[in-house]
Amino acid sequence: MQDTYAVTLKIKRYDPETKKTWLQDYHLKAGRILRFTDLFRRINNELDPTLAWNSSCEHAQCGTCAVQVNGKPLLACELLVENAVAQFGTAVFKIEPITAAPVVRDLIVDLEQAYHRVHKAKPYIIERAEKSAAQDEIQILPRDLDRYVEATRCINCFCCATACISSENGFIGPNAVMASIIRLMDPREQAKEERLGLLYSEEGIYRCHTSKACSFVCPKEIDVAHFIALAKEGKFKETD
Amino acid sequence: MTQKLKISSTLHCDVLIIGAGGAGLRCASALLEKKPGTHIIAVTKVANPQKSHTQTAQGGMAAVDPRDPNDKPIYHMFDTWKGSDCIADQNIIKKIVEAGWEQAVWMENHGMHFTRTEDGKLSKRTFGGHTVNFGESSAFRCVFEADRTGKGIMDNVWGESLKGGTKFINQAVVTELLFQDNRCVGAVIFKQKDGAFLSILAKATVFATGGNGQVFKVTTNCRQNTGDGNAIILQAGLPVMDPEAIQFHPTGIVGPGILASETLRSVGGILRNKQLEPFMKHYAPKMKELAPRDLVARAIETEIRKGRGILNPDHNIEHVWIDLRHLPDYVHDVEIPEVSGFFKKFINLDPKKDLCPVRPSNHYQMGGIPTNENGEVQKNPREMVPGLFAVGECAAASFHGFNRLGTNSLLELITMGKFAGEKIMDALGEDVPDAPRDAGERSFSLFSRFMEAGGKDNLGKIREEMRNLMTEKVGVFRTEQGMNDAIEGLRELKQRADRTALASQSLIMNQDLIQRWELNNLLDNAFVITKGALNRKESRGGHFRDDFPERDDTLHYHTLVHKTAFGDIHLKKRPVDMSLYEAKGEHYEKFGVIERKY
Repeated sequence: MQDTYAVTLKIKRYDPETKKTWLQDYHLKAGRILRFTDLFRRINNELDPTLAWNSSCEHAQCGTCAVQVNGKPLLACELLVENAVAQFGTAVFKIEPITAAPVVRDLIVDLEQAYHRVHKAKPYIIERAEKSAAQDEIQILPRDLDRYVEATRCINCFCCATACISSENGFIGPNAVMASIIRLMDPREQAKEERLGLLYSEEGIYRCHTSKACSFVCPKEIDVAHFIALAKEGKFKETD
Repeated sequence: MTQKLKISSTLHCDVLIIGAGGAGLRCASALLEKKPGTHIIAVTKVANPQKSHTQTAQGGMAAVDPRDPNDKPIYHMFDTWKGSDCIADQNIIKKIVEAGWEQAVWMENHGMHFTRTEDGKLSKRTFGGHTVNFGESSAFRCVFEADRTGKGIMDNVWGESLKGGTKFINQAVVTELLFQDNRCVGAVIFKQKDGAFLSILAKATVFATGGNGQVFKVTTNCRQNTGDGNAIILQAGLPVMDPEAIQFHPTGIVGPGILASETLRSVGGILRNKQLEPFMKHYAPKMKELAPRDLVARAIETEIRKGRGILNPDHNIEHVWIDLRHLPDYVHDVEIPEVSGFFKKFINLDPKKDLCPVRPSNHYQMGGIPTNENGEVQKNPREMVPGLFAVGECAAASFHGFNRLGTNSLLELITMGKFAGEKIMDALGEDVPDAPRDAGERSFSLFSRFMEAGGKDNLGKIREEMRNLMTEKVGVFRTEQGMNDAIEGLRELKQRADRTALASQSLIMNQDLIQRWELNNLLDNAFVITKGALNRKESRGGHFRDDFPERDDTLHYHTLVHKTAFGDIHLKKRPVDMSLYEAKGEHYEKFGVIERKY
């Protein structure tokens, strides 16, 4: 185990004023458990304040800092230097923005545009089940919740949408589909037909080629493909 | 050289919400539920509301279930009062606590994925400082969604706001409030994505901008929590209340400062020092690991100061251990999977096998923009600012006083958000006012100064120096000497910042420009925190003076801090509401100025 690593970050830059794109190299000596967001901050403070990158919580709870490292979409805040060296077998890393939305500057993409797909999937209860007056909460048994609770951990980082081979071919995207599937499996949702309509529409699940790239890259380790498979099997038509 | 800055367009709406986290969007949801079609614009600094700081809250939300034979709202009120070190406002405590369960049910009915009991009801767990029968034993009062309760709430109120037609402007900051005849009529915002200033005129404006945790080096807060709300309020000539009331969470993970939730202690985690001794028994013999946050934070800091801490070589930070090794796999895998995973992910340790390093981290601002029980912003204790509301962490009603209990913040967010929404409904009939003629001038002047500075320095480094200074001098332990040093240091840093040139003159997604603006806000926050802390010559809740280690009950008031220019601070007092005590109802004696012992 080394104490420090000499790393090279080859970062893809984009200047919206000149529309120029280029790769820029930054050389850093980094402690073994520094994260890639720590490295970006060090670049700003020590080498180049103009490098633009996005983050918010910086502990893998919000998904703002998603980038591609050597081609793999991941969260920069949870990639430790020593793990990156072990995982990629090199200390030279090419860092690019995710492809789920157009680039605004450097590593920052227009997440608003990516989110349009999630909005289409209606990430809320469209039509609520009636509850009896005597009830407070609508009762959901743990075993029923367990069927879909994993999917509710999604943070919309769009790593899956970046990795998905169908993303650019009119597919609404794995995370957006999953947002709708959650509510199909949620006993409180009444608008199942409307949801099935989206699922089986032109931009729905039949665009998916089952590469399972979504599950492979998900930083929250959600088996996204499993939920898409349930939909393809017609599970939700039978149960409700 | 400087580009001509201008307002590129003016938008009109019913309600402008600045800050689209839990409080802001609970307010939006309340408005939309009561009056569908209300035209709401919600502005957020982050890339999408889902990226807000609320998203990161782990443990849960306190709410007394009326069906619970053991728990009562009066116990929760007592715990909150005692926890606040007897300086929260009792009218607020009563209103929020009594609304708790209804709000938990509202969240559930609107689709939040709470953890359930075997019979499908909302599961509950204990949390530090929450008791039944006035401190007799731990209360099972906290509803939760695994260890991602904040995410559950955030997804929920975001979804409801979206469903109701809220228009979101993402990745934008508020640079100035607009007033017409002393009434707040909206704000100027700066959209980072296209580098444009907008005027937004509204019948009501709600501040829900979050906290100021980035003032400190080790913090659990998001990168964006730079106290913008406090700074803009101060700039408008309005006061900030109790800025010195800062909570340091006892267990931030070394070194990224990520929060290791109190849940780790409530499920049985044990704090140990260098000799592996479980030391909490010396500080809180009865509650031990479950004592309130400020007590645990000082206990850890004391262990470290007495040489019983452990040095982490990578981050050069001293810490103690939290021991989770004895907990069953079920607890690790089901009850604390996210937090347990943090140790694996961020420091390459396995909490099932390894001791995990934690230390106190800045966590929460209890003070903030002073409001009444409806979230209406106060100019002084008797006068409101018409049209202006503040809710969530940026606001102080005050529910938390000088120390917040775990799980009370999510409760405050959603209740105060809702109360403000209901109150705002009253204003909706009125016409949207015109923009004041000088709208934007203040922002343009500030941004032009940023762009015209020509000195060589690094703004990121100045920010880091400020954060180190504040952590060292105005952190868990405070002294007069240390804080006077901090004041001097802050003045120098401000001068350096004012001289420093931006790395780029572009207005479009210019991170350096936004961080320059944030640095101004951070310095304003740091200054009022330090001044407030210097002024309060006692120890109370999260504010601990080494030179005045006891509470002084002659100082039983809130402090209102005004700023006329950087470093030019005026302090006033606001009385503490003692209405529960004064009502002389059952158990009223518990709401006097009581001893805070656990």
